[in-house]
Amino acid sequence: MHPEGVRSALESFVAASPGPQRAGLRVLLAIGRRPRGAALLSRMPALAQVARSLLAMERYDQPALASALGFDAEQTAGRGRALRHAEGRP
Amino acid sequence: MTRSLHCDVCVVGAGAGGAVLAAELAEGGARVVLLEQGPYHDADRFSARVPEMLADLYRDAGQTITLGNPPIVMPLGSGLGGTTLVNSGTCFRTPDSVLATWREQFDLQIDERELDRCFARVEEAISVGEVDARLAGRNAAVARRGAERLGWSHGYLRRNAKGCVGSGVCAFGCPTSAKQHTGITYVPRAREAGAEVITGATVQRIALRGGRFSHVEATTADGGGALEVHAEHVVLAAGTVHTPGLLAGSGLGLSCGQLGRNLSVHPATAVFALMDERVDMGHGVPQSFYVDEFADEGIMFEGIAGPPSYAAMSLPLSGERHAQAMERYPYLAQFGLMVSDSSRGSVHTLAGATAGRLPGVAGRALSRIGKAPIGQAPLIRYDLDDADLTRFRTGLRRLQELFEAAGAREVYLPLPEGVAPERAGRGDLRLMAFHPLGTARAHARAGEGVVDGDLALHGVEGVHVADGSVVPSSLGVNPQLTIMALATRLAFHLLGADVPGAGSGSGAGAGSGSEHVVEIHCPS
Repeated sequence: MHPEGVRSALESFVAASPGPQRAGLRVLLAIGRRPRGAALLSRMPALAQVARSLLAMERYDQPALASALGFDAEQTAGRGRALRHAEGRP
Repeated sequence: MTRSLHCDVCVVGAGAGGAVLAAELAEGGARVVLLEQGPYHDADRFSARVPEMLADLYRDAGQTITLGNPPIVMPLGSGLGGTTLVNSGTCFRTPDSVLATWREQFDLQIDERELDRCFARVEEAISVGEVDARLAGRNAAVARRGAERLGWSHGYLRRNAKGCVGSGVCAFGCPTSAKQHTGITYVPRAREAGAEVITGATVQRIALRGGRFSHVEATTADGGGALEVHAEHVVLAAGTVHTPGLLAGSGLGLSCGQLGRNLSVHPATAVFALMDERVDMGHGVPQSFYVDEFADEGIMFEGIAGPPSYAAMSLPLSGERHAQAMERYPYLAQFGLMVSDSSRGSVHTLAGATAGRLPGVAGRALSRIGKAPIGQAPLIRYDLDDADLTRFRTGLRRLQELFEAAGAREVYLPLPEGVAPERAGRGDLRLMAFHPLGTARAHARAGEGVVDGDLALHGVEGVHVADGSVVPSSLGVNPQLTIMALATRLAFHLLGADVPGAGSGSGAGAGSGSEHVVEIHCPS
């Protein structure tokens, strides 16, 4: 479902961000993914919070982890789709 | 090459206001062209995955951010349905106290019997009903228990849903199409009645001739080129954040000095709690329950919940504590705090700032930038005032009380570690902003408002506005029903007909007594 060449849903999300924020988010995520980078970010609480939030969203979007916590996105979407088709909804 | 279309009414924007107008006008016999900047969203592509749906369904991936203290994220929907596509579906009629404020402060004489008929008509069209307790989810059950123990006023919310099975992802694309957003209710009705619906259309300018509306200039996506829509009337419904830029970029609405000002939002935050019982907040209707004990103080509690990725993003913890809390995600509950603001912000665009303001080369250069996408992007300025900061301090403490009364093992406030709600500063708050209103506010007097009580632009014939921007004050409740009812009212005013329903034809309708009645002469 991701546009060609886009590695993950988070990258789709970043790619859809407004221009001025896009580059900043990419840098922030690159820093935040590295242990030393995360330590550096901890000196800038607002930026650290953005990086942590996005990386947490990415991590818990993984189907296996989400499913272990009781939420199966594929099943949720599939059930909705089946009901919608069965009832002839748009 | 420029493609030209001719119709009676061109409607700009297919959200809560525009879609309703397009359908009502088309069904009333008017020839309608509905222009929507975003795409049509195929529900088969709704994946229930948060980052993917944020990218697909939200303008700027949900990252519209206000400039101010504190900066606030303001998520806006994009596409047929506008923000009704991604909201929680909560429906409130305009509170009587708000209507009284409109009468007293803005001299808006809105016939309440007529407005009631508009509400009833909208509620039927989008299937508004109270959430079934069985679908409300255990997150709501936790809040209900807390409210009952504290004796706080509460109830199940009314929503626009039909055949809901509690998928828990209202804000990320309802996979069942249970939520009756305007993209699947009013837009199909408009099409069925003959309206031409064009997606991917970016409106550049509203053009006048001889002091009245002439045509809309737009560009279309996918190489469709330039488009001109010639009509008797244009109704702008591009939303509170974008309508001011469209007007200003066309040199309209500027004389009163109110365009882009008076921005009201519902700043909001949320509190998590770790419960002993299994909550599974990702199941059930996320926004199914409210606590309105403190509504008179401008503090409203409404349910909020979502899948693990959503919770992980918003859980106000870090490091090991975050990981440990997320391991207990099935036992996490969450509830939202929404403030009816007294703060006021503003929306600016370079396009608006340069529209006819500067002469010579500098003016032409700035005008070119203003016509470029970056020049049309709105800048939203909003600072939280002292009264609203106090509301958050109070609200957070009370929400903590609610969870403690419900038996929470731990409560996670959206504040830095060690900061008590009473001592929280603006920079400590983690806020989102919903329900932007007021940037082209209605006021009976031309010097005080952008549009009049009939939502007609002061001083120009043939231009109306029908989105949240005309709503002149904070509502304290979710605004989609108010916007839809006002759009219904405008549609019947334009048609010169009474709004159907009990008590219609009593002389209270659009056509009678209003100096701004504009009858569309529909082809027979």
